[in-house]
Amino acid sequence: MQIIISNSSKEPIYEQITSQIKSLILAGELQEGATIPSMRNLAKELQISVITTKRAYEELEKAGFIYSIVGKGSFVAEQNLEVIREKKLKVIEEQLSAVITNSREIGLSLDELQDLLKILYEG
Amino acid sequence: MENVVEFTNVTKKFKDFSVKNIDLQVKQGFVTGFIGANGAGKSTSIKMMMNLLRPDVGEIKLFGLDYKKHEKAIKERIGFVYDGNVFFEGLNMKDIKRIVAPAYKHWDDKVFYQYIEKFELPLNKAIKTFSKGMQMKASLAIALSHHAELIIMDEPTAGLDPIFRRELLGILQELMIDGNRTIFFSTHITTDLDRIADYIAFMQSGELVFNQSIHDVAENYAIVKGRLDLLDRDTEKAFIHVHRATTGFEALTDNTKAVQNIFGNSVAIDRASLEDIMYHLKGGIHHV
Amino acid sequence: MFNLIRRDVILQKRQLLLFIPFILFFIIMGKHPAFTFLVASIFIPFNTYAYDEKAETNILLNSLPYTRTEIIASRYLGAIIYMILAIGVTSLTLLVFNKPFTMTDIAIGCGLFLLFAAFTFPLFYIFKPGYIFPVVLICFLLLSAIGPAIVTFLTEHLNAITDFIVNLTVTSLYTGATLSIMIVYAISWGLTNIIYQRKAL
Repeated sequence: MQIIISNSSKEPIYEQITSQIKSLILAGELQEGATIPSMRNLAKELQISVITTKRAYEELEKAGFIYSIVGKGSFVAEQNLEVIREKKLKVIEEQLSAVITNSREIGLSLDELQDLLKILYEG
Repeated sequence: MENVVEFTNVTKKFKDFSVKNIDLQVKQGFVTGFIGANGAGKSTSIKMMMNLLRPDVGEIKLFGLDYKKHEKAIKERIGFVYDGNVFFEGLNMKDIKRIVAPAYKHWDDKVFYQYIEKFELPLNKAIKTFSKGMQMKASLAIALSHHAELIIMDEPTAGLDPIFRRELLGILQELMIDGNRTIFFSTHITTDLDRIADYIAFMQSGELVFNQSIHDVAENYAIVKGRLDLLDRDTEKAFIHVHRATTGFEALTDNTKAVQNIFGNSVAIDRASLEDIMYHLKGGIHHV
Repeated sequence: MFNLIRRDVILQKRQLLLFIPFILFFIIMGKHPAFTFLVASIFIPFNTYAYDEKAETNILLNSLPYTRTEIIASRYLGAIIYMILAIGVTSLTLLVFNKPFTMTDIAIGCGLFLLFAAFTFPLFYIFKPGYIFPVVLICFLLLSAIGPAIVTFLTEHLNAITDFIVNLTVTSLYTGATLSIMIVYAISWGLTNIIYQRKAL
C-alpha cells in the first residue's frame, strides 16, 4: 500500500491518509477483504504519530470503507462500487453545471471550455 | 482510555521556584511530549513522577498505584532515560548490566543483547569513553530490557545531532507498535515531537498550560496576522498574546473558530507550531 | 537487597587489588593490630560512598525498583558484612606474616569501626556532595590521631578497671560495650533512614 504524505500541505495528515486509502479502494487496488496495515504499523512506516493514523482509520471506518477486528487487524470493507460511482457522477454533474454557469457569465464558448478541460485533464 | 500516570492537584514548592496545581494524565499506548522552556518545571515534574521528589500537596498515581505502598511494583514497570549518564561512568556495559539486571524481576538478557547489537554498543569499554549519542543508546538499551510498560525520558535528545535524533525517534516509533507501551518524554526541541507525539503537555512557569492531542492543539491554536486597526478592546479578547509591529500585529489564539467569526477574511490565520505557542506564552498565561 | 550489597564489589573490582597492599602497609609499619583491623574494615564501605556521594548514583538507585529504606539498609548491613570479610582477610595476612594479635584486637577494631560508621554515615546524607570527603577525612585523621591512644589506653587500663570492679568479669564488660555499640549503630541507622526518606534528589 503506497501512501504519500506531504508535510507542507494545508490538508491535515490524517485527511491525506483517508483520501488516499479511499482512492485505492475506489480504484480497485485494494480489494474487498484485503488486509491493510495496523494503525500502529502504518504510523511507524509513515513516521507519524499513532493518534494520526488512529484518527484516519476511525474516519474510514465511519465512512464504511474499512473495518477493524480487535487482535486481527483492519480490512477493506465490502463496497457497493455501483452506488459509489453513481454518487460520484452526480457530484461531477453538479460541479460541471457550476463551471458552465461561470463560463456563460464571461462568454466562454463550449469549444474554448472543452479545450481548457482537455488541457487540465491531460495535465 | 486508561491513564498510566495521573497527577491530581500536585504542588511542590522550593525556595525560589514552585510547581503549582498540576493535573496531568498520560494516556496508555501513546506518546506524550512534555514541552516547556528551561526552568518551566519539566524536570521537577518528572522527578515527582519517578518519586525522586515528593509533592507537598496532591496525589501522584502510576498504573493506578500509589508510591507509598507500591514503590517497587511501580518501578518494575518503568524504563527511564535521563539527560546525561546516571550510570557509574567508570564501568563498562557488562558491569552495569550486572548491577542493574538483578534489580528487575523481568529483566531479559536476550532483549538486552539484541539492543546492544542493534545500537552497536561495545560491552567492554567504560561508559565514560562513549559519545553523548552512545551514552543515550546505552541508557535506552537498559531502559528497554525489562519489558517496561512506561518509558520516561528527560530531555533524551538534548545535545544529540539531528541524524541521531531521527534515529532515536525511529526506535521509539518501533516501540509503539506494541499498543501497551506508553512513552512520556520531555524536550525543548519541539520539532522532535512533530513526527511522533500523540499528546502534548505544555508547562510554563511551573504550571501546566495544556495537555491535548496534537489534533486539538492544531485545531485550537493558530497564529493570526492582520492590520493594527483591527485590534480593539473587544477583538483582542480572542487572543492569548499579541505582538505589535509597525507593519501589523501577530497574535496567538487558542480559539481559532472565534477568531474566524470575529475577523472573517480580514486576517491571515496560520497553523501555530509548538514553538510559536511556546514563544507567545513565554510571559505566562493570561488572556489579554 | 543483596544485589545492592553485591554492587560494591562490582564497582570496586580494581580498588580491591589495592586492598592487600593497603593492609600490608599498616602491618609493615608495625601499627597496632586493632588499628589495622579498623582501617581494613573501613576500606570497602567508605570507598562505596565515593561513588554514592554523586547525585547521579542516588538518582539511579532510586529509579530502580528499590525503596529508600532498602538502600539505607544495604549500607548498614553491607558495612557489617564487609567488615567481617575484611577482618577475615586481615587475620590471615597477619598470620602469614607471623604477627601476633588477640581476639581483643579484633573486638576493639570492630567496635571502633562500627562507631566510626555510626557517626559518619548520616553525614553522607546531610552534607552536599563535595563537602563530605573533607568532613570524613577530618573525622578519620582525628580518629587516627587519638585512636591508637584510646586503644592503648583501653588495653592497658582494662585490667585496672576490671580489678577495680572486682565482681565484674571481662565478659560482662565486653557484653556491655557490644550492646552500647549496637545501640549507637541502630540509632544511626534509624537517623540516616529518616534523613534519606526526606531527601530531595
